[in-house]
Amino acid sequence: MGISRRNFLKGSGLAAGTMALTGKPVQASVDSPELRTKGLQVSTTVCPYCAVGCGMLVHTKNGKIVNIEGDPEHPINRGALCSKGSALFQVANNERRLTKVQYRAPGSDKWEEKSWDWTMDRIAKLMKDSRDKNFVKSEKRDGKDYVVNRNEGMAFLGSAALDNEECYLWSKFARAMGVSYLEHQARI
Amino acid sequence: MSSRTDFSKDKAFLIDMTKCTGCRGCQVACKQWNQLEAEKTEFFTGEGYQNPPAMSEFTFTRIKFRDYEKNGQNEFAFYKEMCMHCDEPACASVCPVGAFLKTPEGPVIYRADRCIGCRFCMIACPFGVPKYEWSKGLPLVRKCTGCYSRVKEGLKPACATTCPTAITYGPRDEMIKEAENRLAKHPDKYIHKVYGKEEAGGTSVIYLTNLPFDELGFKPVTMRPLPGYTWQALRLVPAAFLTVGGGLSAISWINHRKDRLKKEREEAAAAEGKNSACCAPTEPASEDKED
Amino acid sequence: MTNHWNDIQHADVILCIGSNPAENHPISFKYVEKAMDNGAKLISVDPRYTRTSSKSDIYAQLRPGTDIAFIGGMINYVLQNDLIQKDYVVDYTNASFLIDDGFDFNDGIFSGYNAETFTYAKDSWKYKTDKDGMALRDKTLQDPRCVYQLMKKHYSRYTPALVCEITGTAIQDYMAVIRTFCSTGSPDKVATIMYAMGTTQHTYGTQNVRIYAMLQLLLGNIGMAGGGINALRGEANVQGSTDYAFLYHILPGYLKVPDFNHVDYATFLDQTTPKSSDPNSANWWSNTPKYMTSLLKAFWGDAATEKNDFCYDYLAKKSGNYSFIHLMERLRAGGFEGLFCMGTNPVVGGPDASSIADGLGKLKWMVAADLWETETSIFWKRPGVDPKTIDTEVFLLPAASSVEKMGSISNSGRWAQWRYKAVNPPGHAESDAFIVDQMFKRIKALYEKGGVFPEPIVNLSWDYGNGHEPDIEMVAKECNGTFLRDVEIKGKRYKKGEQVPSFALLQDDGSTKSGNWLYCGSYTEEGNMMQRRGLEDPTGLEMYHNWAWCWPVNRRILYNRASVDLNGKPLNPKKVVIAWNAVTRKWEGDVPDGGWAPMSEDGTKNPFIMLPEGYGRLFSAGLNDGPMPEHYEPMESPVANMMSGQQTNPAVSVLGKLCNSEKFPYVGTTYRVSEHWQAGAMTRNLPWLVELVPDMFVELSEQLAEWKGLKNGDMVTISTERGSIEARALITSRIKPLRVSGRMVEQVGLPWHFGYAGLAKGGSANVLTMAVGCANSTIPEYKAFLCNIEKGGDVA
Repeated sequence: MGISRRNFLKGSGLAAGTMALTGKPVQASVDSPELRTKGLQVSTTVCPYCAVGCGMLVHTKNGKIVNIEGDPEHPINRGALCSKGSALFQVANNERRLTKVQYRAPGSDKWEEKSWDWTMDRIAKLMKDSRDKNFVKSEKRDGKDYVVNRNEGMAFLGSAALDNEECYLWSKFARAMGVSYLEHQARI
Repeated sequence: MSSRTDFSKDKAFLIDMTKCTGCRGCQVACKQWNQLEAEKTEFFTGEGYQNPPAMSEFTFTRIKFRDYEKNGQNEFAFYKEMCMHCDEPACASVCPVGAFLKTPEGPVIYRADRCIGCRFCMIACPFGVPKYEWSKGLPLVRKCTGCYSRVKEGLKPACATTCPTAITYGPRDEMIKEAENRLAKHPDKYIHKVYGKEEAGGTSVIYLTNLPFDELGFKPVTMRPLPGYTWQALRLVPAAFLTVGGGLSAISWINHRKDRLKKEREEAAAAEGKNSACCAPTEPASEDKED
Repeated sequence: MTNHWNDIQHADVILCIGSNPAENHPISFKYVEKAMDNGAKLISVDPRYTRTSSKSDIYAQLRPGTDIAFIGGMINYVLQNDLIQKDYVVDYTNASFLIDDGFDFNDGIFSGYNAETFTYAKDSWKYKTDKDGMALRDKTLQDPRCVYQLMKKHYSRYTPALVCEITGTAIQDYMAVIRTFCSTGSPDKVATIMYAMGTTQHTYGTQNVRIYAMLQLLLGNIGMAGGGINALRGEANVQGSTDYAFLYHILPGYLKVPDFNHVDYATFLDQTTPKSSDPNSANWWSNTPKYMTSLLKAFWGDAATEKNDFCYDYLAKKSGNYSFIHLMERLRAGGFEGLFCMGTNPVVGGPDASSIADGLGKLKWMVAADLWETETSIFWKRPGVDPKTIDTEVFLLPAASSVEKMGSISNSGRWAQWRYKAVNPPGHAESDAFIVDQMFKRIKALYEKGGVFPEPIVNLSWDYGNGHEPDIEMVAKECNGTFLRDVEIKGKRYKKGEQVPSFALLQDDGSTKSGNWLYCGSYTEEGNMMQRRGLEDPTGLEMYHNWAWCWPVNRRILYNRASVDLNGKPLNPKKVVIAWNAVTRKWEGDVPDGGWAPMSEDGTKNPFIMLPEGYGRLFSAGLNDGPMPEHYEPMESPVANMMSGQQTNPAVSVLGKLCNSEKFPYVGTTYRVSEHWQAGAMTRNLPWLVELVPDMFVELSEQLAEWKGLKNGDMVTISTERGSIEARALITSRIKPLRVSGRMVEQVGLPWHFGYAGLAKGGSANVLTMAVGCANSTIPEYKAFLCNIEKGGDVA
């Protein structure tokens, strides 16, 4: 199946396109005489809700998303989106989004803000302790020893919301850690 | 106001309700494109999963649900409410300051900078489309713009872009032809009528349905262009507004609006019930939000 | 999906069963309606009259959990009236294969059953073979021991009258469904089945899927444009996350996780690589050693050598079933110190949800990464709980959303599509890739100083650049696979460091690595194929081979070699998926399921290449609960099984608290609405969607409402042995009681999106559901349970 260079460029060119300034700020107003996305940087994405895989255009301005709509060129949805896809803008722009690491100490009734550094070191230490303490090297069955190398101290619940590459990294990491209790939404 | 007589090349919506799945992508896409706030709702306000209770300053289009049984068969039906973008719009004819404009492309747009908040348009519109900004101190009128800024640039309106099944968008004559083709091809499937071809003198929103129009909640309207009726309403407008030098009077009229509005707002809220379109805004949707 | 979204438009009949695409996959309806515009008939089979039903030509109501009875009756009709596509069935399925004389079926139980262990010994579920191990066949389909005759006998019990007595379907609706669907047994007519969780979430969910596949094989609808059986997957990348094996029993690319008794690599490969003695069998899984070795090389790089079994020992060996339900049992029993929840919310999504929240309190530590606070991450301050009593240390990591990172996701049609990063995540939020990268690097540093069995960690190959987060393109390249040394394969040279162009070139000698053989071809020397945006459509069937990339090897319709006759001529010349060009001796159209010559020629291979025998299985020993699907009642049912004396799936042990139908008389089922998604965090926090569906509700019939004195919108309490929740009553004629076993059975429907966190809150339907799973997949039986409903909102 031959592919033309052009087919790559169309996708990446969109993402790499530079912002063309219109001179005056575009207002997000119903009565805006100007197309409010005109000249803005646009990249393509795929809807994060169901698995139809609808294409979307994401318009950004000064590092903020100002519009998300269906990609009219996308061969599956041809610009169409359902209510959820149409609302994706509010995932990107939402006061309820988490922006800092939250930590809850044992017995505490509230979150505290923590740095990534502190948190990651703390989790790494807890994970190592739990793994070392609960590692099952071998198991006796019917009078015979079998090497099983299982980390029974923890379980990983993963996610169908992760990208393939992220899934791969988690899958790889979990296996290196010897985690056998590894599950996600596909099972439920 | 337009003095055109040929609207065949205006852009029009062909909305085939037999193909609508009620997914409400249109309802949210409209809010997204126009950055309209969500309304506070409770349970459902109508049949099926209908929400919000009415079109409003925050809701320019809405799917009305019908959920009932007829001759032992379930009917779960959907009807998209929006501005009809009349060929000869009553709102434009009645507006004393020319805030409404039938554009050559088809959409009837509203120019807030001209509006004085008199609400004649709301009285004149046979479809009840223009809505007042009850949430504001000095309300203006708001309604679906037909996504004029998009249409001008060759894009389809947000709702028409996002609709997977039911909306076709294109020149009005072609949309009518397509509608008539569908009626001819599937005579058993449809009520034999192209709604909007002649209603209110012709509109840029054209419907096909499989259920009687009144059963879906369509309002009965005349087939005559409405400006013919509504010109009389103009007599109610302070004459000064109709002159070029009316600016100062207008300012005075606006300054006294606040008191009148306070009372009217309370009345309107009482009339529309607790699920009023006058909503408590929830989340600020964007920094680019108009106000 | 065997096919893909655009392909639905080519169907003549579309059966939506166990799915509600108008609501849960709304854009798929573009293609459903396109088919209908061309004259296709839409059939909606659902307990409720849904937005999908509203568009259907035929609606048939069925009681939750009675799919096998429903489809079994269709198979009976097809066989009794000889509506099968005969040549297809003989040439491409195992209908003609003879079955061992020991195989038997008696009053709901197949041969080999052990009632103590709830398991079957499958010794008798096998083909009769000749001395060379070749299966014996009777292509006339007359032998009483051939699969066709055994099936005919088995499903002869599924008469329309009995089926409707079980399913509650009105017989005229049922017959309309049968006549319409079973009209597609000719080569120029094709039907598709669109199914989803309504099918799978049962104690016999896998058998539900199997019986759909069997019906489609009998009618010759597999491999065809507009055909297939199509799982409508509910989450954007649940296909990819499954391909990448975020599951206890598989490794990336559906390779098997080793068992405790696979004591070394040779034993593992011997036990997990299927064998076939048929020279015409491609038996594609015979390549297991190549894929597995390439995976181990991707995991452990230079440390993995032929001498040390490519680090096979590093992999944990399983000794049981660690799937979700079992995992949660162990959690409740205090079996884990720690838990990671990456973008998942089991306190809303898991069965018997309150018990999961209780179990979390037994943890020493829990890490959640998400965009929002979820019910799971705030379990320690959930309503009715004193945080002081919970000693779990909880970390909530702010994650990046889909538009704030880059990478690929795989849709239901197996298209891997690239997403670009549009903006940075808000505040200090980070991508999941960043989180795992940091986690690994810090743990590795600790293990370099010592610890238990540090080798798999310190030797893990982890080379994704030096950026703030892993270079996702480098990860994607590793997933595809790379040559690790200069090699020559079939006369062609490949340099060390070159991308492997196709999984046919992966090796078992350590000369290639590939993180997922199924994705080999997704990122070649030509570039990142998942980013492609070519819209060429030479076949006219909208397969779009130049748009993104699809596994396997960019094949858009699986089993497509069954779409042609033995000479390679398309069965349906109007919708040609592939065709053999006798001049060039090549296939044209879609990427064929193997490039071998047509079946009439020498050197060919049988079309179902993933199965050792190469034929579509109407009879299969692959499942735990029988070689042919049989109707059983859901674990909780208001009626006795009318098909046999065996009430429930004999291969499922009864666990936990079950409801009895006197105290809990109504059939409950769960579902989703168009406006919300899954456990709700991604929609209940969005004001625009909350406006549309703001509250938890329960749908019930007008009759039940009258009986309970309910008005629309009244608050009610729904309860089971597991717990109680409040909801607003949505009274609708779209839900109707069913006439089952001579009496009326009321059913209620509950969306499962709600919980106690987020902008819109409400009772979680899964507080009511039970933790009993499918005999094969262990997916919980969410879709059929017993409950009670009372007026008023006082949750007990």
